[in-house]
Amino acid sequence: MTNKKIEMLEHKRSSGFVSKVARETFAGWGAKIGLLWVVILTILAVFSPFLANTVPLLVSKQGEISAPFLRYFNVEDVIFLSGFIILLFIILTPIKKSFFKSFATFVVLMTITVIVANIFVKPPALIIYDDFRLKQNQGEYDWSVNAPIPYSARDYMRDSTDTPLREPLAKSDFPHYMGTEENGADVMSRMIHASRVALTIGFIATGIALVIGIIIGGLMGYFSGIVDMLGMRLLEMFESVPVLFLLLTFVAFFGRNIYLIMIIIGLTSWSGYARYTRAEFLKLRKQEYVQAAIASGLPLRSILFRHILPNGIAPLLVSVSFGVASAIMAEATLSFLGLGSVDAPSWGGMLNQSLKASTFNWWMAVYPGGAIFMTVFAYNLIGEAMRDAIDPTTSKRS
Amino acid sequence: MALLSIENLQTHLRVGKKEIIKAVDGINLEINKGETYCLVGESGSGKSICALSVIQLLPTGISLHPEGKILFDWAKKEGGSAIVDTLTLEDDDLRKVRGASIAMIFQEPMTSLNPVLNIGEQIVEAIQLHHPDTSDSAAKAQAIEAMDQVQIKDAARRFSDFPHQLSGGQRQRIMIAMALACKPDLLIADEPTTALDVTVQAEILTLMKDLQKDIGMSILFITHDFGVVAQMAHTVGVMKQGKIVEQGKMRDVLMNPQHEYTQKLLASVPENLEKPAKFIPEKNHADDDNVFEIKDLNVWFPIRTGVFRKVSDHIRAVDGVDLNIKRGTILSLVGESGCGKTTLGRAIIQLQEPTSGSVKLDGEELVGLSNKELVPYRKRMQIAFQDPQSSLNPRLQIVTTLIEPMTVHGIGENKEERIERAAKVLEEMQLKRDHLWRYPHEFSGGQKQRIGLARALVLSPEFIVCDEITSALDVSVQAEILQLLLEIRKKQDLTLLFITHNIAVVEYLSDETVVMKAGKIVEQGLTTDVCGNPQQAYTQKLLEAVPRLNL
Repeated sequence: MTNKKIEMLEHKRSSGFVSKVARETFAGWGAKIGLLWVVILTILAVFSPFLANTVPLLVSKQGEISAPFLRYFNVEDVIFLSGFIILLFIILTPIKKSFFKSFATFVVLMTITVIVANIFVKPPALIIYDDFRLKQNQGEYDWSVNAPIPYSARDYMRDSTDTPLREPLAKSDFPHYMGTEENGADVMSRMIHASRVALTIGFIATGIALVIGIIIGGLMGYFSGIVDMLGMRLLEMFESVPVLFLLLTFVAFFGRNIYLIMIIIGLTSWSGYARYTRAEFLKLRKQEYVQAAIASGLPLRSILFRHILPNGIAPLLVSVSFGVASAIMAEATLSFLGLGSVDAPSWGGMLNQSLKASTFNWWMAVYPGGAIFMTVFAYNLIGEAMRDAIDPTTSKRS
Repeated sequence: MALLSIENLQTHLRVGKKEIIKAVDGINLEINKGETYCLVGESGSGKSICALSVIQLLPTGISLHPEGKILFDWAKKEGGSAIVDTLTLEDDDLRKVRGASIAMIFQEPMTSLNPVLNIGEQIVEAIQLHHPDTSDSAAKAQAIEAMDQVQIKDAARRFSDFPHQLSGGQRQRIMIAMALACKPDLLIADEPTTALDVTVQAEILTLMKDLQKDIGMSILFITHDFGVVAQMAHTVGVMKQGKIVEQGKMRDVLMNPQHEYTQKLLASVPENLEKPAKFIPEKNHADDDNVFEIKDLNVWFPIRTGVFRKVSDHIRAVDGVDLNIKRGTILSLVGESGCGKTTLGRAIIQLQEPTSGSVKLDGEELVGLSNKELVPYRKRMQIAFQDPQSSLNPRLQIVTTLIEPMTVHGIGENKEERIERAAKVLEEMQLKRDHLWRYPHEFSGGQKQRIGLARALVLSPEFIVCDEITSALDVSVQAEILQLLLEIRKKQDLTLLFITHNIAVVEYLSDETVVMKAGKIVEQGLTTDVCGNPQQAYTQKLLEAVPRLNL
């Protein structure tokens, strides 16, 4: 036996179920493309202030070097950056730990970051973007380094004489790779900043739905009987709520807050996860290793979350990746209807803008539309591959 | 010329892109007209693949035959006969051979009939497929005749029954009727009685023998059970890892095996295992020292009907059982499937809540206690399960499975001590210490069963329910587990309730035997009495049905 083969065997021995599924999921091309897109999206979302910013990244003013863009970091920027660092740290630490433990660590650290960032990060309330361009043009800095796209998402280019709605790469003092929108802001910059909404909505909405779904579904499945009956009725009630109208109502009452929208999407879309979890728990609680756990007198917590849940989570993971895609679609729909956040850029909102303009400006529709399509497609590809990896019987490969 | 002669058959299965498994590796055998050839071997020996190769039912994408011939003497329905090689036969001809000349019946009667067609239609379809000129009424008459032939009572009336209305044994009869409707020259039977109870198995085997006499067909019979071989075979082939290691006349092979593998297999059959010297527990327990005293125990499952789900009746899985389990004995609980033996086992250790009655552990009442109140008792009574695939949590390392119960019950001071104890128990089970750090999928069925037993034993219980723990295992592995159980019992003061349907295992292992039927105890007493001199008619019938090896 060659060394490589021995290594593989060793690897097999130590790997748990999650890493096995991950390996099989990303063995095919489709999932690899999907993952690549999600990674690109993550990088765009995390580094958007580095990639598209009117504020210079580095300047030297009379020999003194400073990074002015750091002062204008808002809460979101801080959370995304530290989230990325935490994620890298967890992945790269050599200590072996289970998927669930790493996930829990990530969630806890993120919660702390969110609280800390909200308390301590206080960016200047007003940013006059034109100032920076003016300063640079007047030669106030010895030298300066700008972001690759030197426009912020909300920089409406008031100092420019160009008319808004310029085509991509139109000749001008200020070149725009993807053109400008009706207020004169750079489309590419807005596209990059909007990737955050797409990324967070998927994870927050689905995360909330998943937690509620697992708890309610798990209790229903394990206890069955009257608990199951009541749970199912509750579930049916939630299923019969028209989400779009609920969102409209909430937007009307509480204003257009993107995070509120995420939470509402999460609170109303858990029924599918609850059904899956219930079915799995119903099936698994009669499994012999669960019976053995009961016979050993193990506490309920251990039976539910150690012996049943990890074995029943597989179909959930699949539906999660589809759920992320549908949450992104829901947000895009809302924004398209003009109910999204007013100021923060979002792909759905940009589509809405393209519709409202008097002429059809293709760059306002193609880029955000393409991005929504790619993102939903990517999650669906991953979900599909994961389903095949988890349940080989449904695989098309014989 | 033999009816079927297989010459140097190789069947390879493709696994992944490059890997190839030689499932059948150079087999030679001949089946004469009117003869039964039994292919016997342990699971994974390639006996089913060999049968599927004959009838060409393996998926073409993953199977290949680099060498060999399967020569079949094909008596064509339109007259004349030819010797054909089923491996190279055209699809059209192959379809004519399948069903008409070579028929097959499968192991699982529950899934081999189409649930949405009634049984009559399915037989008629088989007939008309191969004899397209048969009229509907004639085909129906033939179908009813075929059902009569397999002793389905009142065949004309049952013609339009659906598969779910039949019992497992009846379904297997219908399968046989379908297979025989076209009067094939060769019948391939792939473990046709493995999923059935012994009494039903006995009926089906007799039926097959009678039909063979009437029609004069040959049978290729695949089984793992030497008892069945002794009943059915004219010729026997013993398979191991894709090769036939020994073949010959049935009596010669069974009475005077030449190959050491055959010898080992035959020695592992419970009837041939050397009966251990009668064991006397070290501490002499008084006759009335009972671990469990069970009085009038009932486990009823409600049957609900109507719109309001009113309870109209009960399924009495356990119906008024009185039983005392003496300390230090191995008590066997035997019965056919559905007799309530598993439910009784689970009700005793309170895994299944009894409807009424009393279960006393050392004089302390267990029925009616809440799950929390039961925790201290759980340590004293444990269970080991039948199915090696599902008895261990696939997501947990063995070490976690073993030490978690110890932690709950406060056995061992710290984690190291618990791991030490878990390792010791594993070694007692003849497993290795480093198996602790593996996941269940890395073990074979027999090893998983040992780990299942180890999980029960780490708590040092007084009482273990062994629920069909050897039923899913090959005979040689079964023999090892049984010997292991006896050894453990010798070391520890352990009481076992051994639930099984295998009478030979009962005779080998147990001190006392209880026979159950339809939730009630029919007969109980010392094993030597119950099995040697049964008093009740049901016990006698059960014992008669067991396929015996001694010729």
